[in-house]
Amino acid sequence: MELKAKGFTSIKALLVEDIEVCRLVLSTFLLRLHCEVTLAMNGKEAVDLFLEGKKFDIVLFDKDMPVMTGPEAIVKIRAMGETDVKMVGVSADDHAMEAFMSVGADLFVPKPMRMEALGPIIQEVINKKKNDMV
Amino acid sequence: MAAAALRAQLNALLANMFTTGMVDEQFQQLQSLQEDGGSASGFVAEVATLFIDDADRIIADIAALLDQPVVDFDKVDAHVHQLKGSSSSVGAQKVKLACMHFRQFYEAKSKEGCLMALALVRSEFCDVRNKFQTMMQLEQ
Repeated sequence: MELKAKGFTSIKALLVEDIEVCRLVLSTFLLRLHCEVTLAMNGKEAVDLFLEGKKFDIVLFDKDMPVMTGPEAIVKIRAMGETDVKMVGVSADDHAMEAFMSVGADLFVPKPMRMEALGPIIQEVINKKKNDMV
Repeated sequence: MAAAALRAQLNALLANMFTTGMVDEQFQQLQSLQEDGGSASGFVAEVATLFIDDADRIIADIAALLDQPVVDFDKVDAHVHQLKGSSSSVGAQKVKLACMHFRQFYEAKSKEGCLMALALVRSEFCDVRNKFQTMMQLEQ
């Protein structure tokens, strides 16, 4: 499912989260930051989107999801050669940081992710994208 | 009742929820998003409704697991973790803390401890559910 902030489509964000209320909150934050948001319910759906050729600037993963976890999905997506896309692990699990960073995530943010934390992350992606276009 | 009076009641309710620690800054952030136009009106109500439905289901699932002759503590862990995630995302602080308190009992594989912890989770959830429902009625 794709959501679009009116008038702004600069950053393509994929949110991978199985819990509906968490999806709603984080996707609202991302839309507020003018991202074009695609939703996936688990790691396998995220992998399938990449296999279909979809491109994203940033992917936010929950850790524990049915079918395929966030770290498992990161391993598969990185193995496809997707080394440029920013991968962010998000979890309420105290031990999640190592699980994400050890498989190639760029960043880990504990749940709940706040706008104050997400804003600079999105800005960094915007800056990188602008620099890459120059 | 006049709109101003209802607004005052709503503000008092929300203030109470914060001062008692029932909700935290995360909930405040969701409110701010709605108030400054960053999200549709009814956003907080939608989040609260989703959380209530989700938590209701999870608590029932945990109770069913603890009712088994042999308890699958890994599944209990997974459900409590899910509830911790959703409660923290909406800012339901006391529910989140009750979930954190739960951990020691399923890690120790103590059915009795888990039942006590579930009772606390259920109690905190009922409190915040009632407040959220009152909030939504006042907002209407």
